[in-house]
Amino acid sequence: MKNIIQVLLVGGLLFASSCNEDLLSPIPPTTFSEAVVFDTPERIQQTLNGLYSTMINGQFYGGRYQVYNDIRAEEFSNRTTNGVTGLATWQHTVVSTTNEVENLWSIAYLTINRANIFIDGVSKTTGILEAETAQNYIAQARFIRGLSYFALLQLYAQPYTSNNGASPGLPLRLTPELDNANNDMPRASVAEVYAQIISDLNFAETNLALSNGSPYTNTTRAHRNTAIALKTRVYMAMGQYGNVITEANKIVSATAPFTAASGVGHALQDEILDVFSPPYTTTESILSAPFTELALPGTQNGLGSYYNPGPRGIGDYSLNMTGGIFTNPAFSAANDARSAWMIANTNGFTYLNKFPRGPQHLDFAPILRYSEVLLNLAEALVRDGGDQSRALALLNAVRTRSNENGAYTGISGQALIDAILTERRIEFIGEGLRSFDLLRTGQDIPGKENVGSVAKGSANYIWPMSANELLFNKAMTPNN
Amino acid sequence: MKKALLLMFLVLAVGMTVQAQSRMVNGKVISSEDRSGIPGVNVLVRGTSSGTVTDLDGSFSVNVPQGATELTISFVGFSTKNVTIGNRDFVDVTLDPDVATLGEVVVVGYGAQSKKTVTGAISSVSGEQLLNVPVQSFDQALQGKVAGVNIVTPNGVLNNRPVIRVRGVNSLSLSSYPLIVVDGVPTYTGDLSGNSAANNPLANINPADIQSVEILKDASATAIYGSRASNGVILVTTKRGQEGASRITYDSWVGVTEPVRLFDLLNAEEYMTIKNEARRNAGQDDAFFPYLDANGNVVDTNWYNEVMRKGLGQSHNLGITGGNARTNYYFSTGYTSQEGMIKGNDFERMTGRLNIDHKVFDRFKVGATMNYTNTVNRAPNTGSLPGQGFNTSGLGRIPLISAPNVPVFLPDGSYNITPNNQLGQGNNLVQSGFVNPAPILDLNRMSSVNNHLMGSVYGDVEIIEGLNFRSTYGIDRLTVEDQTFYTSLHGDGFGSGGLAANTFRTLNRWNLQNTLNYGTSFGENIDFNFLVGNEQQYTQDERWGAQRTVIADSFFESYQGNFTTIVPTGNIQSENYLVSFFSRANFNFYNKFLVSLNARRDGYSAFAAGNKFGNFYGGSLGYIMSEESFWKNSSISRTVNYFRLRTSYGLVGNNGVGNFASSGLYGTGLYGSDPTILYSQPSNPALAWETSKKTDHGINFGALGDRIEGEITWYHNLVDGLILPVPQAPSKGVPGGVMTGSGSIDTNIGSMVNKGIEMAITYKAISRPNFKWDVSFNFSTLRNEVLSLEAEGSQILSATAGLETVNITKVGESVGSLYVVETRGVNPDNGRRIFVKRGPAGEEILVQYDHLGTRWTTLDGQPTTQPTQNADGIIMGPTIPTWFGGIDNTFRFKNFDVGVFIQYSGGNYIYNGTKAGLRDMRFWNNHRDVLDRWTPENPNGSIPRVVYTDNISNGSAFPISENVEKGDFLRVRNLSLGYTLPSHVTQRMRISNARFYGQVQNAFLLTKYSGSDPEISTNGNTPSAAGVDRNSLGQARVYTFGVNIGI
Repeated sequence: MKNIIQVLLVGGLLFASSCNEDLLSPIPPTTFSEAVVFDTPERIQQTLNGLYSTMINGQFYGGRYQVYNDIRAEEFSNRTTNGVTGLATWQHTVVSTTNEVENLWSIAYLTINRANIFIDGVSKTTGILEAETAQNYIAQARFIRGLSYFALLQLYAQPYTSNNGASPGLPLRLTPELDNANNDMPRASVAEVYAQIISDLNFAETNLALSNGSPYTNTTRAHRNTAIALKTRVYMAMGQYGNVITEANKIVSATAPFTAASGVGHALQDEILDVFSPPYTTTESILSAPFTELALPGTQNGLGSYYNPGPRGIGDYSLNMTGGIFTNPAFSAANDARSAWMIANTNGFTYLNKFPRGPQHLDFAPILRYSEVLLNLAEALVRDGGDQSRALALLNAVRTRSNENGAYTGISGQALIDAILTERRIEFIGEGLRSFDLLRTGQDIPGKENVGSVAKGSANYIWPMSANELLFNKAMTPNN
Repeated sequence: MKKALLLMFLVLAVGMTVQAQSRMVNGKVISSEDRSGIPGVNVLVRGTSSGTVTDLDGSFSVNVPQGATELTISFVGFSTKNVTIGNRDFVDVTLDPDVATLGEVVVVGYGAQSKKTVTGAISSVSGEQLLNVPVQSFDQALQGKVAGVNIVTPNGVLNNRPVIRVRGVNSLSLSSYPLIVVDGVPTYTGDLSGNSAANNPLANINPADIQSVEILKDASATAIYGSRASNGVILVTTKRGQEGASRITYDSWVGVTEPVRLFDLLNAEEYMTIKNEARRNAGQDDAFFPYLDANGNVVDTNWYNEVMRKGLGQSHNLGITGGNARTNYYFSTGYTSQEGMIKGNDFERMTGRLNIDHKVFDRFKVGATMNYTNTVNRAPNTGSLPGQGFNTSGLGRIPLISAPNVPVFLPDGSYNITPNNQLGQGNNLVQSGFVNPAPILDLNRMSSVNNHLMGSVYGDVEIIEGLNFRSTYGIDRLTVEDQTFYTSLHGDGFGSGGLAANTFRTLNRWNLQNTLNYGTSFGENIDFNFLVGNEQQYTQDERWGAQRTVIADSFFESYQGNFTTIVPTGNIQSENYLVSFFSRANFNFYNKFLVSLNARRDGYSAFAAGNKFGNFYGGSLGYIMSEESFWKNSSISRTVNYFRLRTSYGLVGNNGVGNFASSGLYGTGLYGSDPTILYSQPSNPALAWETSKKTDHGINFGALGDRIEGEITWYHNLVDGLILPVPQAPSKGVPGGVMTGSGSIDTNIGSMVNKGIEMAITYKAISRPNFKWDVSFNFSTLRNEVLSLEAEGSQILSATAGLETVNITKVGESVGSLYVVETRGVNPDNGRRIFVKRGPAGEEILVQYDHLGTRWTTLDGQPTTQPTQNADGIIMGPTIPTWFGGIDNTFRFKNFDVGVFIQYSGGNYIYNGTKAGLRDMRFWNNHRDVLDRWTPENPNGSIPRVVYTDNISNGSAFPISENVEKGDFLRVRNLSLGYTLPSHVTQRMRISNARFYGQVQNAFLLTKYSGSDPEISTNGNTPSAAGVDRNSLGQARVYTFGVNIGI
């Protein structure tokens, strides 16, 4: 009997409290459950911030997007032969498995999906945000989505201008992707993707705030003029110059000094170098990627990492001083304030000094500047049969700001267009517009050093499609 | 009561004999089975504390106090014997195997069992086999010792964890590493370091403390570990005290480590010849010119000399063990310090252990194990750990790519470096290296330090005869402190202006086990044993740290110095909990029929509600045919004295998913200075265990009176419900992390099979008094095949170090096979590499590549597109060896012993990506085989025409079949020569035994593989990315001289 009691006692001991239900269902202490992120205005705001931070990831608008669009063209020479920092893009040997081809595609679509989830999530909330705020947030998300699709089109699709957007474009993903479904989606045409971008930006224009309240937020978050300014770039890509003029006129006054009359008062700064100096939030910077010591673009991502020589950067690319823009007669090193962007290095090469901070690359990465809007408008006016004297005035506003006596006089037509394009090369070097300009105007990509030129229409005129996309999206088609 | 009296008597006897006179008695203990001496036998003078242990040939010499009349001779697996001494000075003792326990006992899950009645597949390795091996962790020393267990040393970095595969790769996305249980408590595995100093926590167990290691392989043996058993289970049992005289062991070695099989690289002159020729072939001017040192000699740097060294090592272990009828103890302390062949790669360990068992009452036992270890791992960036293969400052890669015609130091004594963080280019006109290793090795440092407390206490009550309740509470507390310092001058810290990062990690685990065990007999012939238990295990993992960058002054060399920025780094805050109920029933009928049934129910916190619990089971049958009278009466029994059939089947699991794997999560970060929330992990409520259905059929036999013992097993593991990270179309934007796209969604969807035969035989080939030869041999085959993935025709591609995709996992192929574009040598007409493309119907189209010239053309010169893996790739495999094993020979001649341990493996292919680098035509230095490049004068050259910056022809841009090689090898893993002092000498020295030995670890390697080592694994333990060699350093050779002394 005693033994049986002992057995029962021990058996009870064995299985009493033998399973702890709380420990079996732990809650992660440092991440949010998907169930709670749209529960408070603060979390929704932070989730919106997350869209921006994804977009300005170093693999995307925080650095590499701009870098790829510059190094494809003729302005830079590769110095480090490092396959991780764009060598294949520079020498036009990218294949579908090249890292940059896969990585940029991934981060752009991550931005897009996060935007789609956010739009969906905010739309479904009730009583947490004021209606106007909710619409503003959705507008910011759609702006980010439009900007992301725009980036993808520039690298993975033939230019709109080559055939009015009839080429294969991108899978147009507009709803949240949260599970295993929907891998297969065919490419919409280039024209269809542009139509979506315009739709997003029109919505954004209508619903964004006129101003976000401070120079910092006006530079780092979309407001109404941001959407309008981006539309001028998008219509330039589409060759729809009338639309460029319409949009630009919303934020460019008829005569010099050119400024935006409504919303954030965008204007050229007197000193170009001020635009690229802390705090980077002049009214000329319509949209820039902000960086802090705690939120850096990441190793081998920052603009300064590529272009600054050591110890401020890795110096992957020096300026091409045989055929690059700083050897162009239109650039006067002696008289142009932008000659400060050249820095000779002890190794005998000249580097771009536009984003000089390092080794931590805290310079904001420019995404959209007012001077581009002015030059977009100028070029559109000439191409659309508009007021060429206003076009010349716009060009000279940008040019004489840095080169007091460099004003062009008496040019028009093609010569004026050429002058504008050349000025863009000087003004936007390192800001990722050179390849864009070459492709939208249907030019060959010039060669450099031992790298040959790439003819319009040849296989490597644009990037190949991401290999992983081809593998896992059965409806996807390659670029060549 | 009787025992208590006996104890009292013993105590009195000890007290009485202190002052008595004594004399020496010699003797020898032999086995009745083969008449050979038995080493390690306890010899106790009955009724006294005087005793000793037999030496290697079974001899002993013991001090017998006056009045003592008997010796008690005891040894595990043999019946204890009392022998009357009488007036004899020499006593011969013959021990009989203990029939009651049928030989040796092996450790099984939650218990121990006689070897001859175990019907599960369990292999045992004794501690002796691990004792003298100059490695850091015991798992490295298991290499080649166990049938069915393939162990690969992935590189030559100290304390880098080996790749262990028990019967093949049993998972694709989760770990395929076995569960490691130390004295009943599961411990941590993996590389716990956050920097380049590899840190395998299993090195925190001093190999000298290990009594035995059991490897559980089939479902019957492992099912008691349920959801963690799919990859096999390794049970480590540490030494415990034995009743008898106190015994001291001292084991020590000193050694030298040196690199072997380094590549034969171009010297300065050859380098300049090749590279300038490549420049001219690219239409460029010469760019490589000699650099003269201060004495006017042409600089010819062998960069290996800057990176490699001869390292020194030493190890000392002191063990004290003993006990009486009530209390046994084992106490030990150990110290080892080892220098690797790579400069700056060091390992140091201090351990202390106390294992104690005490009988409080006859029916109540308590005990404890307590181990404290301090381990210091130090290493530079060796470029050899998983993920580092392409590091530009990896020391595995630097000697291969750096130009030999530039110096390490400039004439003024400063480092030869550029302001752009490159190796100085001397008189070359172009880049000549990534970084200079000298300042990195001088100024950078990384370390990973463990403080590890492992311990447990137990209480065991015999409630009624045969029924025991046992409760064990174990703790496993490991802290890991990682320190990194990078100089701002050069290398990895340059881009950050100098960097220091420290992290501190605490892994805290408690494990509570309660078991009831009932053993009884029904009549003479039926034995029954039943176990039921509950186990709970809670693990908390926290790490925090910070990284400081932009150093204020080169004066500072540590995190605590002055820097301008600081950011958090390495934060982890996580936990998991496992709760289990298990049971086992063993039956033994007539010592002929054996039945074992195991079941376990596990609940695990990582899975979503509804999927938290899973059931696992395993069973086995054994039939000892040699116990049948027809066997005993037949002539065969004279040869084969033991013969058993066994079979087992069961279902076990793998729960190695992330702690919050099933939750939909949003991570956090910053946008400028504002906080962010980012969708980072799709929710996955359906996620569940991977399950493995294991089938075994085997025979065990003993022949020639057990002079030959062996087993042959056929095994079949069907792993299904494999968790596959089902890749999503990148355009879906499914996150792969907080800031990466191209994510995948874990889904239980694939299946895979591992099957093969394993065989292990030990043979006491020669047992003469003065000459003995023991040989043990094991051989295993393995065939892996992926049976299904998430969709027909789908494939999983795995990248090396995130860059080069070489491995493919596809239905019908072996896991992680190689996926390459086929090449067909060099076109003798023009020196271009010939590649094979596939046409629409799969037909071959030969194309050739002319770098910077006509690029891709067909052989008749028509332009074409480049071949790609996806369109044109072929699959070559497997990457895991299909046959492997070891042969261990021990020869004893008088007092000398010679050990020859051979390990062999083969049937696998390796992607020698290092070769692609060694033939790359950028500024990189090359292997001397490029001297045989195609030139108009050498049209049959094996290397394509050299063209500067050509990174395609030799496989740097995408993998090619030219770089696929067979991985067969035979390695003399260990060669030893020992001398044991004769007993008359040891007696004079008042010690029981002493052996001196010299040995060579990794003595010879026979292989046709052209890389540094066919055992390499650049991707470490990653199941789906084996068989890749990318700039990893191979294994070192170690010479040691040591001593084993017993007192």
